[in-house]
Amino acid sequence: MTRYFEVEQRDGAARVGKLLLSPTIRTPCILHTADLGKFEDAERTERTFPIVDAGSLWTEAPEILEAKLRQIRTKTGEKTLIIRPHQAYPPAVQEDSRGKIRLPEMELNGAVGAVLRSGAEEIPKSDLYIMEGAGSLENNARKFLEDLLDLKARIPPDTALYTPKLALPENAGVLVYLGVDILDDTRAELAAYSDIYLTAAGSFYLDTLQEFPCRCSACAPTTPEEVKALPKHERAELLAAHNRNALEAELALVREKIRAGNLREYVEGQCRVRPWLTALLRLADFEQTYLEEKTTTYRKNTLIANTSESLTRVEVNRFARRVQERYTPPELDILLLLPCAAKKPYSISQSHQKFLHALGKYKKYVHEVIITSPLGIVPRELELTYPAAHYDVAVTGHWDEEEKNWVSSCLESYLEKHSYGAIVAHLEGAYREVCERAAEKLGIEVIYTSTGSPTSRESLSTLKTAVETLCTSEGQNWKTRNVEKAKYDFVKGILAYQFGEVSELLFEEKASEVPENAENAERPENTEKQQKTENRNIAIKGRFPKYHLYSKKTQLATLVPQYGTLALSMEGAEMMVSGGKYLVEIDDFLPKGSILAPGVIAADPEIRPNDEVIVIGKKALCVGRALMSGQEMEKATRGAAVSLRHVKKL
Amino acid sequence: MSLNKEVLKIRERQRIKPSSPDYPAASWTGEDLVEGVRTKTLTMIFKSAGCYWGKVGGCTMCGFVYDCATTPPTLENYKAQLEKAMRKAGDFSEFMVKIFTSGSFLDEKEVFPEARDAILETLAEDSRVVKVLVETRPEFVSEENVEACLDILKEKPFELAFGLETSSDRIRKDSINKGFTFSQFVRAAEIAKEHGVTVKAYLLLKPLFLSEKQALEDILHSIDDAAPYADTISVNLCNVQKGTLVESFWEKNQYRPPWLWSIVEILKRAKEKYPELPIMSDPVGAGSKRGPRNCKECSHELADALRDFSISQDPADLEKVDCECKELWKKVLEADDFTYGAPILE
Repeated sequence: MTRYFEVEQRDGAARVGKLLLSPTIRTPCILHTADLGKFEDAERTERTFPIVDAGSLWTEAPEILEAKLRQIRTKTGEKTLIIRPHQAYPPAVQEDSRGKIRLPEMELNGAVGAVLRSGAEEIPKSDLYIMEGAGSLENNARKFLEDLLDLKARIPPDTALYTPKLALPENAGVLVYLGVDILDDTRAELAAYSDIYLTAAGSFYLDTLQEFPCRCSACAPTTPEEVKALPKHERAELLAAHNRNALEAELALVREKIRAGNLREYVEGQCRVRPWLTALLRLADFEQTYLEEKTTTYRKNTLIANTSESLTRVEVNRFARRVQERYTPPELDILLLLPCAAKKPYSISQSHQKFLHALGKYKKYVHEVIITSPLGIVPRELELTYPAAHYDVAVTGHWDEEEKNWVSSCLESYLEKHSYGAIVAHLEGAYREVCERAAEKLGIEVIYTSTGSPTSRESLSTLKTAVETLCTSEGQNWKTRNVEKAKYDFVKGILAYQFGEVSELLFEEKASEVPENAENAERPENTEKQQKTENRNIAIKGRFPKYHLYSKKTQLATLVPQYGTLALSMEGAEMMVSGGKYLVEIDDFLPKGSILAPGVIAADPEIRPNDEVIVIGKKALCVGRALMSGQEMEKATRGAAVSLRHVKKL
Repeated sequence: MSLNKEVLKIRERQRIKPSSPDYPAASWTGEDLVEGVRTKTLTMIFKSAGCYWGKVGGCTMCGFVYDCATTPPTLENYKAQLEKAMRKAGDFSEFMVKIFTSGSFLDEKEVFPEARDAILETLAEDSRVVKVLVETRPEFVSEENVEACLDILKEKPFELAFGLETSSDRIRKDSINKGFTFSQFVRAAEIAKEHGVTVKAYLLLKPLFLSEKQALEDILHSIDDAAPYADTISVNLCNVQKGTLVESFWEKNQYRPPWLWSIVEILKRAKEKYPELPIMSDPVGAGSKRGPRNCKECSHELADALRDFSISQDPADLEKVDCECKELWKKVLEADDFTYGAPILE
């Protein structure tokens, strides 16, 4: 159990937290490396050093180190983190070549740290883990990420991770983004003593600089000219002061980005400074599961898609995957493909208003799906759902090959899974090209209705005529839906996106309401998909987008327009429990306000931060919002796991 | 895979170029201290049957194993090698001879006794030769073979040199893979002393996996530990030899040879503590990528100063050179202990 590290805020794998030492350290942080060996100084000066390295087995005997360990603990108390004695090796060493010397097992109260290599069989209990050899892996993105993920998968989520001898202002953002909590100033100091000036945009040799691109306390009063003329020691100390300032400033920025929830957008830009940093981001995206598990289902920020990596980020991938896997379209025969709009949700944009107006009374025949980059396809029902109403892209009218491939592959898989009687595409340019690619691959016929601009009078009239012709053609009996059904489909679409199949439990008729017959006698235990016919008790109340889902007079869920998600009522949660998804199982207590991680017995591994979850225990059934992933809820020993909205005593 | 197996794997990949067994692997002349007097030296590296320890793996920094002959040399071959090496001292009036093989001169399986004796006999008969040094692993030193050598050399001073590397058994095992212990060295040194044979101990500054500071301190400890047994201490600065485990880490940016400032510091402190004990260092390859080095500006100058000191034993020689890079070296000492498997490469 970790008592000395607490995560306070998360943004994907990145987190802001604190090491509860003396003094407390805000993380992500920069350690002053030279202080790690300063325990003896603590006796002479007033200063206390929160982290102390107990020494190396390379040069000292185990008995001596053991005695030293006890001595440090006695003198400094439990709130000094002691790094256990180690025999460190660079990454290239073979496992069996390592020394076999070990310290005798000893109980050590208080905060401890341990050097850990990837693949190590034993994970010593620790509050902080040092990634062995991390500093040798600069420019080796594959090995670095592989080792990092290996360690992260095996250490408890509420312990801190330290990558020594690696930090520079240029890489701090990406390292923290990947889940590193602790960095040090080794590289910054060495650079200074080699006359190298560091910035987040890369490094400069002092003798190439004409002006300092920084106004920190070290740089502001002087010029490169003056600094070059200083004696070596003074010069190095001044550069070191700047380099440390640059590192600290970058880290403060990164912490703020975590708090604001938009570190991803920052690192998509920052990673350009070095190829290995860009490679790290791409590799982490390829791997996906590590970042996906930690990424919230929604956030308040605009998702800015400005880079090619925007196409592979978790939110984009997850949206496309859920549309493909969880979402079921309404039962309509005519598909209308529309281009996206800058204004969100799309339906309130001028262009979409025009499209809908053109459809007129034939709207009831049509299922609308919007084509967009980078999200791929957005069914009308999901236009409110994060990130469909929350993204912004650089609009040039030109789509690159990657974007076209991605979007057409989304459309292709969708059309492969769901078939329509007719497809009308009111698309131009790249949008149309994307549609043509998918249609050609699948051998599907598509009616294109836009001529020039989709909002031109001519285009709109072509659209109207085309749909009208389809709907009124002889012998066709196209399905339609009324306004109520459209609202119903809207809510149902979001629920499926949010919870998957189990959301259908909300639409089942309660046993008491079901006319008695042999087939349904066993319900409600029988959770199999029931009759396709509608539940006549279900109604959607409220005006778009403030929909409420009711069963008779009981409110089951409310649409949160800001994120396009549904918040369950107590009754809604009760209906969903038997599905077994998005469940957090707690111990035998009656919670108030929030559930702390230690109180969680089990949690659905599919739970992501900000997901709507149902909490169940012997004493209570509750509804709330997840504050961490299901996995982390199970493994963590500190921190709030669920913020509760409704609690019902059982 | 043990450290030894890792070394062996590298050994197996190396090709030994066929070469004439009638020529020594190398020979050169130089200067050294004999009884405190500056004396000319002739160093010869014999192609032998090869180091037994190196053949089964061996030391992580040693590339000399590839200097052996492709087939074990005959007595005639050894005589020819000696004769060719001796030509280099043709115009010396007196000199000291230093004999090395890629392994141990006293290992009878490496250099068979007749060859050993023949070489020593030739040197014994040459009145210009004032002293003979041979290098061997300590396990090959016995009362018998020391006496045999002395019988041939008669009154000529004889010295045994050992690649002790460090007095730390942990480092010798987990980093160097040397295959003997400090107590084995002590035993061999005591046999030597009993027979009036002097002892030279070679130490190795900065073997694999040690930080700059750990390496520096290890040598200071080792000097303390070896001083009672050694008449001379010579500190070798680890350099990156072809076909070694050190090379494979160096190629991956996971090893850096020692700083020259470190050896300067060691020599200063050791000389102050042991003013009577000759302590020296020949900075082989100094200033090169594969060698011990400071910055480009001072490496060569400092290497010369180290050579001067090795002969003069005058600490003033160590103060002759100063350079801005010393500040960086101090920072390296401060931080390299806390890089946890990522050696500082600056």
